Amino acid sequence: MNILNCFKVVSDLDLLGEGDWIADEQNNVDVSFVRTGWNCFDESALEMLLKLSDLSEGFNVMYNLSALTIGNEKCDTYLKTLYALGYQKAVRIDCENDLRFCSDFVAGLIAQYVGDQGNIDVIITGKQSADGENGQTPFLLAEQLGWPHIGQVTMIEPVDETCLKVRTVTDEGEVTQTIKIPCILSVGNAPNSYLRVPTLKDRLRLGKQPIEVRKVENQGAAGQGLLKLRAIDYRRAGIIIEGDSPEEKAAVLFRQYLKERL
Amino acid sequence: MALSREQIVSGLVRILGSEQVITDEQVLKESSLDRYRKYEQVCEVYTQPIPAAVVYVKSTGQVADVMKFANDNRINIVPRTGHSAIEGGLETTLVNSVVVDGSMMNQVLKIDTYNMQVTCQCGVPLQELDDRLREMGYTTGHSPQSKPLAQMGGLVATRSIGQFSTLYGGIEDMIVGLEAVFPNGEVCRIKNIPRRAAGPDIRHVIVGNEGALCYITEVTVKLFKYQPENNVFLGYILDNMKTGFEALRAVMVAGYKPSIARLYDPSDAGMHFAHFVPEGKCVLIFMAEGPAGITKATAEGIESLIAEFDECDAVDPMLISKWFDGLNWGPEEIAQEKIEILETKNIGITTEVSGCWDCIYEIYNTVCERILEEVPDMTLMGGHSSHSYINGTNMYFVYYYNIVDCPPEEEINKYHDLINQIICEQVLKYGGSIVHHHGLGKARAKYVKEEYGSSYYILDTMKKAYDPNQIMNMGTLIPVTK
Repeated sequence: MNILNCFKVVSDLDLLGEGDWIADEQNNVDVSFVRTGWNCFDESALEMLLKLSDLSEGFNVMYNLSALTIGNEKCDTYLKTLYALGYQKAVRIDCENDLRFCSDFVAGLIAQYVGDQGNIDVIITGKQSADGENGQTPFLLAEQLGWPHIGQVTMIEPVDETCLKVRTVTDEGEVTQTIKIPCILSVGNAPNSYLRVPTLKDRLRLGKQPIEVRKVENQGAAGQGLLKLRAIDYRRAGIIIEGDSPEEKAAVLFRQYLKERL
Repeated sequence: MALSREQIVSGLVRILGSEQVITDEQVLKESSLDRYRKYEQVCEVYTQPIPAAVVYVKSTGQVADVMKFANDNRINIVPRTGHSAIEGGLETTLVNSVVVDGSMMNQVLKIDTYNMQVTCQCGVPLQELDDRLREMGYTTGHSPQSKPLAQMGGLVATRSIGQFSTLYGGIEDMIVGLEAVFPNGEVCRIKNIPRRAAGPDIRHVIVGNEGALCYITEVTVKLFKYQPENNVFLGYILDNMKTGFEALRAVMVAGYKPSIARLYDPSDAGMHFAHFVPEGKCVLIFMAEGPAGITKATAEGIESLIAEFDECDAVDPMLISKWFDGLNWGPEEIAQEKIEILETKNIGITTEVSGCWDCIYEIYNTVCERILEEVPDMTLMGGHSSHSYINGTNMYFVYYYNIVDCPPEEEINKYHDLINQIICEQVLKYGGSIVHHHGLGKARAKYVKEEYGSSYYILDTMKKAYDPNQIMNMGTLIPVTK
């Protein structure tokens, strides 16, 4: 079974201070000075696939894992890490554009790659990226490919060569289904958030495999124009309880705010 | 005859009252170790003897009473304040130990901006102290990475050092006066004076004692003017550590005192600076701090010195400044780290050493080579130099490994202690020190005789003189002999 994992490398926005959230004339916030990392939902998906592969032995199924990202050569470090972890193929679609709000364009690039390969059975991705938060790409991809899409996936287990057991979270609770391929799975809040870490020996042994780099034919087609960007000022009402000692403050808290609620 | 746990507890309750004597099982377990056994801590596996009690003391008098009780009954005492130790110094190695926690002694007693010194009790958190001082335009100048957690007593007891040490010095340079309680209950105050030559500097019996000689109850440290508006950052990318060490040495020997002088090897640089540093490169960082004229001259001087090293390429200082703002670790980071370790079974540890300029590169190089060769499942091996002197520098080894087929209680033998052993062997071989600033703790106490050589006599005699009944944090500094 050939599974393609699509992931994004994002800037760690938690490292931006309050004063850094200033939009320039192009409606961009300068993130050049913060480090990057795996998009959190994509990281869960990447680890989920490795766990699926770990379980495959008893099911007589071979999973060929490939990974795809869209970005510049700074993404290559992440692709090499995936090689070191056992992914069989790593692909980067070279693109310098700001694709934060271009879900349709992104979906189109992925769909084109899948069409060119002709042998992808499952696509898995995170439900949205930390910077764009559109939550649209998996749906648009499913529409373009004509494949079913299942969202909020929390677990994937082997069944056989044509099916996967997929657990999802819904409003009513957890649902476990056996899904026939081809299909698209998107991962939301999964129990395991972190990707395992390859050893240095595995990085030396496996991490130097070539990365397939594909060019985008029409970079200008990413057309979703950002009109305005402003920081939202999140403030909560609060009261500072004064007192000469912790005991006194606790007494004020109890008398004035908690007593009637208990 | 040794007291039973119940007798120890009732004796402590008679001294302190029941509210200050904690026997909750979970508290006792968590108090039996520190971050040296990080994996056990994360997995909530407790391999050390569980203490009989954790007591919270509120005054020097209470500390003295508890110490006398322990001394009379030969009960092992583990002094503690911020619980941020990382070398096993807080492990309750002996059965029925008592952890004496000074975090409730948290008053800033006097901020003296005329004499430029501040006096505080042992349980004052450094972050709170420095935040308060900064609002007034002053600073202690002390900024270890544990700043959000650490408290003054522990910082002095471990001979800690901060990120700005190249300018302000280590804690030993910042200390003015002290108060400490010795095992027999003797309370000793060393007064606040700029300097004296009335015999040996007895402050250094207390500074760095790691709770093995006495209990620190009060400290006075120097104040400095806080002038962040004058800070100047410099950053460089270069090919190799050897050149980096030469560049650091050039700056120090020339007489410049930047508050920060750091050299990152490619592995460690990859963790921090991958967003602007190519793979395989080292990073050199400086910060000049202080009055505007001095920071300008320091930065210009360093720039012209580093310009003589062709392979050093300057980077935008803003990149360094922004990175530095997010360096410290607080409770949130530790909580997040716990989840990550449990999920990935990948853990990161550090060990810091020092050496003179003529051996530090060999120490760095051979340690990395040996660890990569001899230790299984390594995922990262590297480090940085962060505290430089005219005659040498430190090396802060940073290493990560996967824990494979290994229960929590075995991790320390399979990985952590093996790595420490290699580091200590190489450092001793080249004449460096196996501990730069974390403290010997219990983790590296087994190498104390090799570390000290013939001067071990001084340490051993001090221990016998001040702690004849062997109640002070046994196993720290000097291993427990069976």
